[in-house]
Amino acid sequence: MMNFALLFRNYGILLVTIGLFIVLALTADGFATERNLRNILDQQSMVIIAAAFMTIAIISGNFDVSVSAIFVTAPLFGLKVENMTGNVLLAVVAAIAVGLIMGAINGFIVTRLKINSFIGTLATSFMFFGAGFLISSRSLMRPESDAYRLIARSRFLGLTSATWIAIGVVIIATILLSRTRFGRNVFAVGGNMEAARLAGVAVNRVQTTAFLLLGAAAALAGVLNSSRSISAQPSDDFSFVFAVLTAVIVGGTSIAGGQGAIWRTTTAAFFLAFLNNGFNLLQIDPIWQRLIEGAVIIMAVAVDTWTKNRRA
Amino acid sequence: MTTTTAPTALALSGVSKTYGSIAALSNVSVTFEAGAIHALVGENGAGKSTLGKIMLGVETPDTGALSWDGKDVRFNSPAQANRLGLVGISQELSLMLDRSVLDNLSIGRETCIGPFVDHGATLQQAQQVMDQFDMPLDMRTMVGDLPVADQQRVEILRALNQDANLIVFDEPTARLESSEARKLMLILRRLAEQGKAIVFISHFLEEVLSVADTITILRNGEHVRTCPAAEETRSSLVEGMTGAADQGQFPALPPVDPAASPLLVVRGASRKGQFENIDLTVRPGEIVGLSGLVGAGRSELAHAIYGASTLDEGEIAIGGEALHGHSVRDAVRRGMALVPESRRAQGLFMTRSIRENISLPYLDRFMSWLGLRFNQERERVTHFGESTSLKYGDLADPVSTLSGGNQQKVLFARAALGEPRLLIADEPTRGVDVGAKRGIYDLIVGLAERGLGVLLISSEIEEILGLSHRVLVLSRGQVTAELTGVDINENAVMAAAFGAN
Repeated sequence: MMNFALLFRNYGILLVTIGLFIVLALTADGFATERNLRNILDQQSMVIIAAAFMTIAIISGNFDVSVSAIFVTAPLFGLKVENMTGNVLLAVVAAIAVGLIMGAINGFIVTRLKINSFIGTLATSFMFFGAGFLISSRSLMRPESDAYRLIARSRFLGLTSATWIAIGVVIIATILLSRTRFGRNVFAVGGNMEAARLAGVAVNRVQTTAFLLLGAAAALAGVLNSSRSISAQPSDDFSFVFAVLTAVIVGGTSIAGGQGAIWRTTTAAFFLAFLNNGFNLLQIDPIWQRLIEGAVIIMAVAVDTWTKNRRA
Repeated sequence: MTTTTAPTALALSGVSKTYGSIAALSNVSVTFEAGAIHALVGENGAGKSTLGKIMLGVETPDTGALSWDGKDVRFNSPAQANRLGLVGISQELSLMLDRSVLDNLSIGRETCIGPFVDHGATLQQAQQVMDQFDMPLDMRTMVGDLPVADQQRVEILRALNQDANLIVFDEPTARLESSEARKLMLILRRLAEQGKAIVFISHFLEEVLSVADTITILRNGEHVRTCPAAEETRSSLVEGMTGAADQGQFPALPPVDPAASPLLVVRGASRKGQFENIDLTVRPGEIVGLSGLVGAGRSELAHAIYGASTLDEGEIAIGGEALHGHSVRDAVRRGMALVPESRRAQGLFMTRSIRENISLPYLDRFMSWLGLRFNQERERVTHFGESTSLKYGDLADPVSTLSGGNQQKVLFARAALGEPRLLIADEPTRGVDVGAKRGIYDLIVGLAERGLGVLLISSEIEEILGLSHRVLVLSRGQVTAELTGVDINENAVMAAAFGAN
């Protein structure tokens, strides 16, 4: 019996996003222009890259709050390498390696030390933020070579390289989740950890891999961010992870694990971006934007809980 | 505290309860008297616990009525039953382990002055209850630091620290040493003497016969009889609980080659607190039944063989190769498959598709550099779905849409897909319709015919009798009997299961 609630759960976000798009296209001047939409794609690329792999981590049953800290700190390390060697490629590799290491630390803390993922990654956040201040000597860092800005700001077929990279990442994450053994194991571990263990799934390895990949994705997003602004700055700003989590949750990924889809996370990221952009164009007070964003999250989670209760 | 002194009794008339298509209780009428110990006995799944839950408002009956002290009552929540003084002490204790004895006793019943807890009065009241029932415990000890028997006393005292009129004890001695169990029997007796109605649910027939005033026998959810304990004997209870064995519900067993070398050899396996010094062999084509009561250590042993938990001592070998520190993955690779005890908690991924549920442990067989080969996977899953006569609409449907029997077949299809040498089937027909059971029996026997060794764990004694070439009976973690051929009969199995200690 495919009821309305289940259909809404699966495709609701798509309907709502298309609806919002149409409304804004009709009411907001300058919304449905090629330039504006390209900008939205470019601006959302970083959130989407991290959110795609955050979706995988949450399906596997874990939160990762430290995405913000990796987003801030990994590019600082990348720039440090760039400043020393002048090699942009090496800088990117170094930043992503830092992301992987940080992901490995998260994985170790959560799967081996058995610390709740929310608390564990909150704790590592502070450590990673702190590492950022140390690497940068508490100051703004800039790339030496002009090529660094090309990482995110090259153009191909009208779209920025940041957009293309995001598209590539979403495709990779989708294939990983839906077409590989790793993806199946992610759903299994998050859906029923004991059953997965008894089926011979290496539960810890699957969850750690999800953290590793998310760390790398967050680092890549951080590199793109620093390339867009041609600088990076240490901070302890958590806002990036909230944008990422909002997209994942509004996209209907179950916070209990075991359920979710990357295309829905991506759609939700656009829904939130349209909302944001539309409010700006319509010159509505940003305070309203927050109120509505909060309400949208509650609705998304309520739909999730509601459909679950109906099944039980 | 106001104490009702009138003689109180709970009467159930025509109570029925079904879960899904399974009748847990059908048309049961029993009366529980104040000042008496009334035991409920029956095999696993006979409906004892369900009856207890209905009395306490944890479950509402589908049909039938309850009356308390002559007045009709209807409980929609445990709180309503609680207000009348109907309380339960379950097998799984529900205590706050990180809080003191006093906190556990007085939670929700603190004496208050305005919004503030009157600590002195609260302590005094708890102490009074403790003295009255002569169960002294240190009020300041953390409950988690107490031995299980004392934790149970805390649970009992908590029930008494309010107007308890009827107390349901559900398998209270399952986790106790026998000396502790005897002390608990004395406590039950004293409570009854003080006018409480005591409902005692237990597997241990000696305990029941020694302490109960009245015994009610349940079988498959039906009320067999209620008699004074003095009129019952051990054998009359066993007979009442099991009824006449239904012949013809099992397929014929294939012969086992007695010369074949054993497939699985377990020697001296021990795991602290679960099982002790177990020797076990399974030959190819042989079905070895592992019988015993719930908590006897059967599933724990199976999990250790399967690599899901470790052994403290002893060795396991499969196909002549000794396993050292092996894991589930290792076990699966060496040809073991497990159909776990609880398909919901340990087996299935309810929201995922039938296909994903069946292929999960064996995805490496469908891997290519381009990712999983879906066509090949679908082909194998379909093949083994058919071979286990699984009924489904579409392989992409979530497993939650299937009936209990078909969900169980998903687990068998999963096991069969691995083409194992040894199948461990733990309670393979639990929660399965009577009609679907035969299908699962045929599967098990069919697998044995193809040369698999099968370790069958079941609480249903008929299943053990009807399906096993050889039976090992466990009681409190030890093998108390090994039966073959004509020696396999109900009395022998039951005697060994109930008989230890």
